[in-house]
Amino acid sequence: MFHDLNVPWTSAKELQRAVVFLDELGYDVVALTHSYGGRLPADLTSPVPNPLPFPTPSRLRILRRCNIFLTDAASNFRIPQLQQQYDLIAARPTDEKTLQQACQSLDVDIISLDLSQKFEKHFKFPMLGTAISRGVKIELCYGQAILSTDSTAKRNVISNATQLIRVTRGRGLIMSSEAKSVLGLRAPSDVMNLASVWGLGLERGKDALTKEPRSVVEFARLKRQSYKGIVDIVYGGEKPPVQEKVVDGKAKKGQSKDQKRKAQDSLDTTPAQSGEEKTVSKRQMKKNKKTKLDAEV
Amino acid sequence: MVRVKNRYLVVNILYPASSPAARAGEAVPELLQFHAPTPDAFHTGQLVRLVREGIAELFGDYGMGMANRTLKVTYWSPATSTAIIRCPREHYEMVWAALTFTTKLPRPIDVPVVFKVVRVSGTIRKAEEEVIRRAKGIITRAREVEKGRKDVIVEGVVRAVEKRAEPDAVLAQVDEGEESESESDSE
Repeated sequence: MFHDLNVPWTSAKELQRAVVFLDELGYDVVALTHSYGGRLPADLTSPVPNPLPFPTPSRLRILRRCNIFLTDAASNFRIPQLQQQYDLIAARPTDEKTLQQACQSLDVDIISLDLSQKFEKHFKFPMLGTAISRGVKIELCYGQAILSTDSTAKRNVISNATQLIRVTRGRGLIMSSEAKSVLGLRAPSDVMNLASVWGLGLERGKDALTKEPRSVVEFARLKRQSYKGIVDIVYGGEKPPVQEKVVDGKAKKGQSKDQKRKAQDSLDTTPAQSGEEKTVSKRQMKKNKKTKLDAEV
Repeated sequence: MVRVKNRYLVVNILYPASSPAARAGEAVPELLQFHAPTPDAFHTGQLVRLVREGIAELFGDYGMGMANRTLKVTYWSPATSTAIIRCPREHYEMVWAALTFTTKLPRPIDVPVVFKVVRVSGTIRKAEEEVIRRAKGIITRAREVEKGRKDVIVEGVVRAVEKRAEPDAVLAQVDEGEESESESDSE
């Protein structure tokens, strides 16, 4: 199962083509992204209509995701409200401080950095390591490297991607397209090769398309649906009333057995007492006999 | 005897942008649009030049020196938009990456394309077999469509997935092994 968790939502007509093309390339799960820049609007409902206005391939599973641009660390991102509207929530930090906030405290699913710009500081493992250990994945978007005609942007994407791969030691990474048009989409095997050229290795590259994004999707789903994010009932089973009676009868039987056992237990304990009584009585009898004999003698 | 080791990349050219026929209002299925034939003006020499330019752009003179040694297009079929590209074994990843970064065919044609490497093989025989297998698949699919019947295999897969696709039944889905097979075959 291959995932592409970042396909920007542009317009219905263009996106229909993108979705069909993704299916043709062999992807199974696709997330349509809507980005929030600056202050969040009052109405947080997703602009991606549900269901989509065009027929989608039945094999493909489509998710909804939102990107929040973290420009100011102090502002409130209203993540619980966003969680109700979207399947996935990604944070896009713009500077060092917000990146730290996203790694350490923010309740998001994915950290997605804009790789086409240059960062002033190196990424550090302790910061990204906390994010990975919390289950927040870090996203590498290859779309800009392929589509942009600007060679510095391309260089920045490649250098930032290799830096991230080095710092995270290949763990907790997701590869996704973030392609503004259909042309930026590539087949999973091509992306895996790209990852291996960038120093991630083929196996890890495959994980970045299959295992890691799947864990993000499932973890996000559990967060929303399950009890306290821990217990989820997949299929509770049905209980016809007739069977319930039988179960009740069994329970009763069990109870009676228990009672019997208790009775047995009590019997088990009593013999010792009764035995003592018996011995006492025997002694008594002997004594009686002795006294009788003595009396006779 | 010591041989020069090569890799053979089986490449498909896909056309994600809408074709002129579709724009003219003809109802062409999208599947066929993606697998459209390549214009005749595009020939093997241009493909080689395209790959070389891609390598030069991504890897510079070093890449050119390393990959150019045995680079050659050994097979090209414009009808199915399929090519087999030979390249040195140590540096096939560079050639592949150059193909991945290609977005359109060169000047006179100027059509946006996506290159998809479908198989990496160590011998040309296996690469050819893969091409034949794919062509056969396309022919059978086209025949099924002509007869008006639906694609049996695809329909079967769709049905199986639909059966499983109760809202959240994602816990038991099997990874598709095709890609990794083509990788392992490359050894």
